[in-house]
Amino acid sequence: MPGNTGSGKQMKNRIKVFRAMNDLTQEALANELGVTRQTILAIEKGKYDPSLELAFKIARYFGVGMDEIFIYE
Amino acid sequence: MKQNFFYILAGIAGLVEVCLFYLSVEFSNPMLITIGFIAGVLLLYIAYRRVSDRQVDERLALINQKAGMATFMVFWVIFFATSLGSAVIGLGAPRFPHHLPSGKGEPGLPDRSMNIPDSVLGSGGHIPDNGSIRLGYFGYMQLAFLFLMFFLYVGFRVYYARKYGEWETDEEQD
Repeated sequence: MPGNTGSGKQMKNRIKVFRAMNDLTQEALANELGVTRQTILAIEKGKYDPSLELAFKIARYFGVGMDEIFIYE
Repeated sequence: MKQNFFYILAGIAGLVEVCLFYLSVEFSNPMLITIGFIAGVLLLYIAYRRVSDRQVDERLALINQKAGMATFMVFWVIFFATSLGSAVIGLGAPRFPHHLPSGKGEPGLPDRSMNIPDSVLGSGGHIPDNGSIRLGYFGYMQLAFLFLMFFLYVGFRVYYARKYGEWETDEEQD
């Protein structure tokens, strides 16, 4: 489930930006979401697209809509 | 239970299995290692369920799933191809009873020029063959397949782990 979806478009995300805004480390966010730090890092680097459930969790944690964090372009 | 303790337990279980295998061969009792191995795996499974600091998230689950599927896909092709080859050998083999190639003597008896000691030959000069020798070689082949499967899994596991950012680093690494 890497960033490239095969249609030329890619999933991008702004987790790093939101983390910085909330002064959160990858480790802290990972603990809050119940995943490993490596998973947060992989998502931020576009190596792994999270499941819908995790994507919702991330959006709800930052209190924003999912389309503000995840961008399909 | 801590994960490190589980690894120690797994190592001890491995050593016990090796001892059981040795005893099993020594006493010619295949049930010893068969039952021992199943019991060992069950024990490790129960212990693994009790590990408290284990963290498997969806990305790790995906890596394991992809590696398992890729291993299965490659393995069944190799296993099927080898089985087809074995079936050809089996179909081309002479019918029972099997005898050693005959020499100049009595038909069905081994060629004396092969110098097979009498202790090996059963009564009547035939090599006692109840199928267990060939079954033993079949066991070697199965073990080779299992090792192949293990190495395939490890290889695919590393490949997918890299693909999904297992060893990625960033500024927070330190």
